[in-house]
Formats: sequence, C-alpha cells, structure tokens
Amino acid sequence: MADSIAPIVAAEEKLQQQADKMETDKMWIIMGPQHPFSHGLWTLKIKVDGEICVDAEPIVGYLHRGWEKETENRTYPKIIPMADRLCYAASMTYTHLYCMTVEKALGMDIPEKAKYIRIVADEVCRINSHLMWLAAVGTDLGNLTVFLWAMREREYFLDLNVKLCGARMTTNYPRIGGVRNDTTELFDRDILRTVDRFEKALWEIIALMDDSSIIVSRMKGISYITREQAANVGLTGPAMRGCGVDFDIRRDDPYDNYDKVDFEVPVLTEGDSYARYMIRTEEMFQSCEIIRQAVKKIQALGKNAPYRVKAPSRVPAGTHFMRMEDPRGESLMYLVSDGTDKPYRLKVRSPIFTNVSSAKLQCQGVRIADVPAVLAQIDMCLGETDR
Amino acid sequence: MAMKYLEKYPRSTARGLWVIKPQWHVLKLFAKTVFHRPVTVLYPYEKEWVPDNYRGRPGLDFDKCVGCGMCARMCPTACIKIVDSEAADGKTVKRPQVNLGRCAMCGYCAEYCPVDAMTVTPEYELAEFTRFDLLYGPRRLAYDKTTEGMKVKLEVTLQSDIDNGNAERRVSVFSLDRPELTDAKCIGCKKCAKVCPVDAIQMVEKGTNEKTGKPILRPVIDEVKCISCSNCIDDCPKDALVMKEVL
Amino acid sequence: MISVVVEYTSILDFIDFNGQYVMDNAYYPFEDVYNLPFAISYGLWKIIGGALAWLINLIFPENPVSDWLMSEPVCVLLSLIIFMLIVFIVVFVCTLISLWMERKCLGRMMDRRGTMVGMKGFLQCVADGLKTFMKENTIPKKVDNMTYMWTVSLVIGVSVLLACMIPLSQRWFVVNYDSGLLIIMAFFALAPFFILVSGWSQNNKYAMIGGMRAAELMISYEVPMLIMIATTALLAGSFNIGDIVDAQYETVWYFIPQIIGFITFFFCATAESERVPFDIAEAEAELVEGWQTEYAGMKWGLIMLADYFRGYVACAMVTIMYLGGWALPIIGNGPIPEIVFLLKTWFVFFLMILVRAALGRVRPDQIVNIGWKVFMPLSVINLAVVLLLKVGGFFRWL
Repeated sequence: MADSIAPIVAAEEKLQQQADKMETDKMWIIMGPQHPFSHGLWTLKIKVDGEICVDAEPIVGYLHRGWEKETENRTYPKIIPMADRLCYAASMTYTHLYCMTVEKALGMDIPEKAKYIRIVADEVCRINSHLMWLAAVGTDLGNLTVFLWAMREREYFLDLNVKLCGARMTTNYPRIGGVRNDTTELFDRDILRTVDRFEKALWEIIALMDDSSIIVSRMKGISYITREQAANVGLTGPAMRGCGVDFDIRRDDPYDNYDKVDFEVPVLTEGDSYARYMIRTEEMFQSCEIIRQAVKKIQALGKNAPYRVKAPSRVPAGTHFMRMEDPRGESLMYLVSDGTDKPYRLKVRSPIFTNVSSAKLQCQGVRIADVPAVLAQIDMCLGETDR
Repeated sequence: MAMKYLEKYPRSTARGLWVIKPQWHVLKLFAKTVFHRPVTVLYPYEKEWVPDNYRGRPGLDFDKCVGCGMCARMCPTACIKIVDSEAADGKTVKRPQVNLGRCAMCGYCAEYCPVDAMTVTPEYELAEFTRFDLLYGPRRLAYDKTTEGMKVKLEVTLQSDIDNGNAERRVSVFSLDRPELTDAKCIGCKKCAKVCPVDAIQMVEKGTNEKTGKPILRPVIDEVKCISCSNCIDDCPKDALVMKEVL
Repeated sequence: MISVVVEYTSILDFIDFNGQYVMDNAYYPFEDVYNLPFAISYGLWKIIGGALAWLINLIFPENPVSDWLMSEPVCVLLSLIIFMLIVFIVVFVCTLISLWMERKCLGRMMDRRGTMVGMKGFLQCVADGLKTFMKENTIPKKVDNMTYMWTVSLVIGVSVLLACMIPLSQRWFVVNYDSGLLIIMAFFALAPFFILVSGWSQNNKYAMIGGMRAAELMISYEVPMLIMIATTALLAGSFNIGDIVDAQYETVWYFIPQIIGFITFFFCATAESERVPFDIAEAEAELVEGWQTEYAGMKWGLIMLADYFRGYVACAMVTIMYLGGWALPIIGNGPIPEIVFLLKTWFVFFLMILVRAALGRVRPDQIVNIGWKVFMPLSVINLAVVLLLKVGGFFRWL
C-alpha cells in the first residue's frame, strides 16, 4: 500500500472502530438534486451517525449535454459560443481556454493587446465566479446578507462585461487569434472605477464574514485535507492552495501575458475550510491588482494596436492540449484535429469534476449542519462538471 | 506585490463572541438605504440602461442585405434560414429569417455580415405566446433605431502585416479571401454565377471544345464586388473553386 | 333573570350604551380591575345586542328574548366572545406588522427593497395568507396521520394562546395571574415537544433531525431563561407582569442593573423563537425546511404565522422584563400605554432583525455549547449581581 493513502485508510479505520463501539444505526441522507444546498443539479448522499457524517458520495451527471460530442460537428469558430455555456459563472475562462488550444494547434501568436484584454476579461470573470461562490457560502452558513451583497457586487462586473462585449454572462468574446472587439470607451472609463469600488465593498463583506465569530467558528478547523490527500484526489485550484500546495498555472506555466504582470499567489498550509475561504478572498484582491496593471498596459499600447489576427479556418492535423487556471482549479482542453475545419475530438478536463470527488474526504467527521458549508468551498458548477 | 487580505486576517480567536462589527456594518447600510433607494431595479417599470453594442435579438437592414447567407452559415444554433422575400420593387429576393426560440444571442450573424446589414439590437423582451410568433421574418427583423455602434465590424490584422511591421493596418475579412479556380476541374456549369449574391462572377468564353464544338465557359471573379461568402464554393459540383485564405 | 317585561318606547331602551358603567355589572369577570378590551366589547355588545333585541321586539312585541339578550349575565357572556376576538385580532395585526417590518427592514439591510405589494408592502401578508389558504391540503401518504395533524394544530394553537396572553398594559390583559411570567414561559416551552413528535410523525429524515434539534435547543435554552425570569422576579418581588412593570417604573428599567441578563435573555429569546442565528430546527441549507418539510399549503402558512407569534412573544417578554413594559420613565402610564408597549416590542424585534441580517447560523453542537457554557454561567452571574444589589439595599424588598 502506498504511503500516501495510508492517512485515509487510517482515518477510515478509526471511524469504523468508533462506529462499531457506538452500535447505532447509520442512516443515508440524500441531498439533491432538488435541495437548497446543491447549487445546481447534483446529488450528495451522506451517511450519518447521529449528527456526524461518516461517509459521503457525490453523484453528478444530471446535466450531461454531450458537449464534447457536439463540438465534433461544428466548425472551429462555432464552438466559441458553446464554450461559454460550459460554466455560467466564469464563461470567459473556458472560451479563452478553447481559443488558446486552437491557437496552439495553429501555432499562432496573438497580438499583445489581445493578450492583455484577455487577462482583464479573465480576471473579471474570476472575480465574478468568486463572488458567486462567496454568495453560496453565505447562504450555506445561514447569512443571506452576504449572498445579496456579493450578488450586488457581481452585478457591477456583469455590467463591465456588457460594456466590453454586449452580453452579461455568455460573453462569446475571445476569438481564435485575438478578441472579438477592441475595448470600448465605456469599458475603459469604468473598469478601474469598478475595481476600486469593489475593493471597498469587499472589505464590507469580509467584515460580515471574518469579523463574525459565528461564521469563522463554523469554517475554522473542520474538514482538514492534507497535501497528500489533495494530491491523491487531484484537487486543484484554491482548494489545493489552501492545503499548502504552492502551485498556480498563471505563475508557474504562464499563458498569455501572465508572466508580465506582477501578482502574488496566496498559499495557506492549514488545509481546513477556512483556509480555502481565505485563499479565494485573497485571490479577488490579487485579481484587482492584475486588472489594474493589465489596463495600464492596454492603455500604453494605444488605440490602434492590433487586437485580432486572422486565423486560418483549417487546423493542421495533430494533438494539442492547453491548460489554464480557472477560478475553480486547473482546466484543460485536449484537441485532436484531422486537418479539416472541425475538431476530431475535444476533451475538457473540468476542475470541479475532480474536486467534487473530494467530497468524501471533506465530509468525513463533520456534522450535518456543516456539510453544505464545507461543500460550498468546492464552488460547484454543474455545467462544466457534466459537460 | 503584497497580500492585502491575508496580512490582516485571520484575526485572533481570543475575541470569542465578537459579533458587533457585522451588525454595525449592516446597520450602516440600513441607515443608508432608508434614505437612499436600494440598488434594486424594479424591472418591468424601470430598466437598466444598456449600451449600443448590447446583444439582444438580431436586427436586419432589408435594403442593405444581399442575401449571401453568411449569417445562416455562421449561426452556431442554426436558427437562421434564408427565405424568399418580396422586395420593394416586387422582385423575389433571398433574406434571412431568424427563429428566436433557438437564437443564443451570440452576435455571430452581425459580426460575420459582409455588408453590415445584420446588426445586434438592444431589444431583449422577446416573449411570445406561441412558438410560431418567435419566427422573425426579414421584415419583422428590421430595427429602426439602428446606430453605428450596433453594427459589429469584423476587422482583423494580418499576421503578414504584423511581420512586415505594418501592425496598425486593419482590414475587413471580406475584402481578403477570394475563391480560386482550379481550371482542370471546372466543367463550366454556371452554377457559381447563379448563386453569387452580388453578381461578382461572370462566365467568360475561353475557346471552344474541340469535340462538341460548344464554347468553354470559365468563371471570372470580380475582386471588387466579391464579399467572400463562399456560396460558389459550396455549390460547385466538382470542387473546382477553393477559398484562398490570405493570412 | 327575566324580571319585568318593559314597555317599548324607543330603540334606546335596548341600546343602553352610556347608561351603565362596565364595572357596575354584577357579573363583571375581572374582579376590580378595569379591562379596556372588555369595556370595548361590552359597549359593542350593547350596540349589537341592543339592535338585535330591538329588531326582535319589533317583530314580536313584548317577547322575553329581547330582555334576556340585554340582561346582565348574557351581556357579559357574549361580550366575552367579542372580547376574545378583539384580543386576538389586535395580537394578529401586531404580529403581521412585525412580519412586515422584518421583510422591509431585512430588505433594506440587504440593499434590496423588501415586499412591494400594496401599502408599502404590508398587503404581502394578506397575499401570502390567501395563497397558502387556497392551496390544496396535501397530506403525504406515509405520515402518522393523527400525530401529524394534532401536533401542528397544537404548535399553532399554543403559539396563538401565548401571544394572546401577553398583556399590553395595565388595562389590556386576558388574565391577571400572580404568576403571569411563569405561565407564559411554560406555554413558550411547550411547542418544542410537539415539534419533536411532529418531526417523528412525518416519516422524513430531514423532519426528524429538525425535530431532534428543536428538542436539543429547548433543553439548552430553557434553563438560563428560567433563571433570568426568576432573577427579574426577585428584583421586582413578584411574578405578576403588572407588578414587574410597576417596580421598574418606581426604580429604573431593569436592563440597567441586569445588562448581562438583558443581552443573554435577548439571545435566549431569539433561540427560543427559533430565529436566524439559532434556527437550526429549520436550517434550510442542510435540512430542506426542517421539521416543516412535509407540511404544505395552509398548514405551513399557519406554522410560519405561529413562528412570528412566538417571535412577538419573545420580544414582548424582553420588553416586560427589561425595558419597563408599557411605562415610560417620567410620564408613567401615559394616555395610551398599549402603543408604548408595542413600540418597545417592535424595537426589540428590530434588534432581532439586525441580528438575523448580520450573523450566520450556529451549528447545533455550538448552540448547546453556547447555551450551557456561556449563557448559563452568564445568567448565574446576573443572578449574583442582582442578589448583591438586593442585599445592598438598592431595590426594595416586598
């Protein structure tokens, strides 16, 4: 037996011993797909011993749309609006990832301005997604005010999306070889203003979350994940960084121009639910920093700089993959092209699909009341999980 | 760069039942919203302002449209169909019809329209009682308050231009790609000339066939008129026409 | 009873509104205390019954029924029925106002508008009531039917009874017990038993866990609450609500000597009425609707209403015990003490809304911890402080 899974096995045995001593009936509780805790269509089966959860089993697949098969019947540009629909909270990142994959297959280099615009759009989406997550955490911890305040802030960022490309959520903005349009005047005017005002508002929300001992005590010290366990289940993203793994694709394998902006990757070693919360909150501040720097770079490039390069309609045969730091973790696309104008196969690796398999790890030993609060940290999005 | 949030938090746990600060913040907002209005927009009565480039339903300038079918070709949800329609002078012309029940509002039709006849419009209240009512014919698609911002331009920079140091030149995609004829494959069937929406293809006589004595016809493409809609390429029975992409 | 058949002269023979003072009635049920709602209902019966008697007398002249209707015992009996209605309607409207207040204030605290249906959103209560009442009466197949129906009726009934028993002033009460506070507390503590049984009867895991949690909550919060009630009674020298209010008028409002008790009791009362920081019995994040999961339509609507009745009662108890009840510091009772009392109650309810907006839900084990390890010692410390004050002679002995 590998050393790395020894802690899990030991924990399981310990729980089993405890359970044997108690001699009480264990009960399966099925949460979802229609349950206020499941943000989206998924089911969580938890096995409870009194109030304490001893086992959990996530069931996904209610939203399977055959996304990967659908793409095989479409020409390359037509997949971009579909990639938006993978995730409603962070649509731009998947479109961006798809475009980067095809660009890599084409061997293209896109203009500097497009790279910076993509970074800005990406970070706006990251803040969007994290705010959605913050709202979910708020409701799961029983505080509806956090939900509404976070949603209010998210609205300003959706407005930025409208000003940039004319759509709120399904943006359809990055293109193979650049972006759809140059930044508009309205966007230039509002982006820094929105970011400044958001930072102030985020401190208010933090005052509701971190300065309330009830909420902190409900997140602190529960559902520990060790580095080894995180590696075993393939945890990525903020959840992984909360366990002490210092890895961020934006910094360690930079795509676009992430190597030319200066930002910190927050890493905490606690590995509990509160650490995962703190990582995401810090990431929002870092995103604001990235946006500020990237907007400066865009302005320095001038209005006439190229933002979109013409891309050939056919992709040479071969296999290519590209990965990026999604708000929820590491997402990857694997493209097999056969030289036509349609992909032969397009595989998506969704971070949540693997992250949700840590539900068992996270739920063991916590109380029923904490199950939603703990699983909100996964930041569930079923569109990309089930594809 | 420094961490902004992780420097201040987590606060010490010794505070125990410290719950006053959130209440103070909530009370502050309460005091504010009692005198000012909350951020909520009362939707049916008030509407949010939307910019010109807002992607609502597609709009169509009937007279400008040439019926090339580029919108139908690029539509990812296949909601656009090219139908016969009667023009002002009584002629039957081809114009797009949009099934808004399927439309995903991606704006591709407006983006890929070579003559900027298709636009995005800020109209988003599209509910109807029947599915049939969701079919927007060419006349119904018209939007009379079309501004310049609603026309989505497809302007790109060529990689060759960037390499030549002429990075600021932007050209429309439709002035670049032109169909190219492989002479050996052509049978002179005139199909390309028939389907061309802008009459850019003329069949020119190039000698006579030695066996039958009939004239050999070959298409000649008017580079100025052509909008690179690739209708001729699709309809060519012998694949004699190929789009030559300029990169 | 029916003494003499009087001769008919005018309608005023029957509608004898100003003729008799309510307390002169030989059968007056409240001994020697003037009761305002009874006086109103007595006057109302004088008009309604008098008109009825006059009508009957017009059709059948010189019948005994008219006189019987206006005789003293019958007047008292039928005014008591109207009295019940008046007391209930006032409490009901007060509760609806607090419901409206919660919706509006909570909305403003969350930067939204709250309800918008008519009269600044007040008619939303009516709309909700109509909606739930018109829904189909669904009873799941596998529930234990008797307990399922009985427990919910008892929860609602006890809550309404409780709310009606809160006196609004010296002259607005239903019964004037010497142990008024204890009786209210006893009824208050009754509902969680029914919730426990109801959770079991629904044959639903969520409901069962919700019921268990309600029992858990009750056990850990009843004790500090009772200690604090005893403390207040000790300070005032009586369990009678009127006496407690009078004692506060004569000295100071009790939240000054008992500031620890005030805060502790406020949170205990929040927990007892199952409001948000402590609403684990119906925690919608993990247990769909807690012990109410299988109740639909009208039953659910009434349960929600009962929740607000209990919230109102909790606030009223805080007002009576710590905020001086219906009396104002210098003015005393004033012309309309009922309004003063209600305003204070709504102020306490506003504090509850504030707590609800600002805080998250507490985990069940934390609730038990807080109950036994924080609130219990605090209430004992409060008792000790009060004892010291008493021994030091700051408050009179009765």
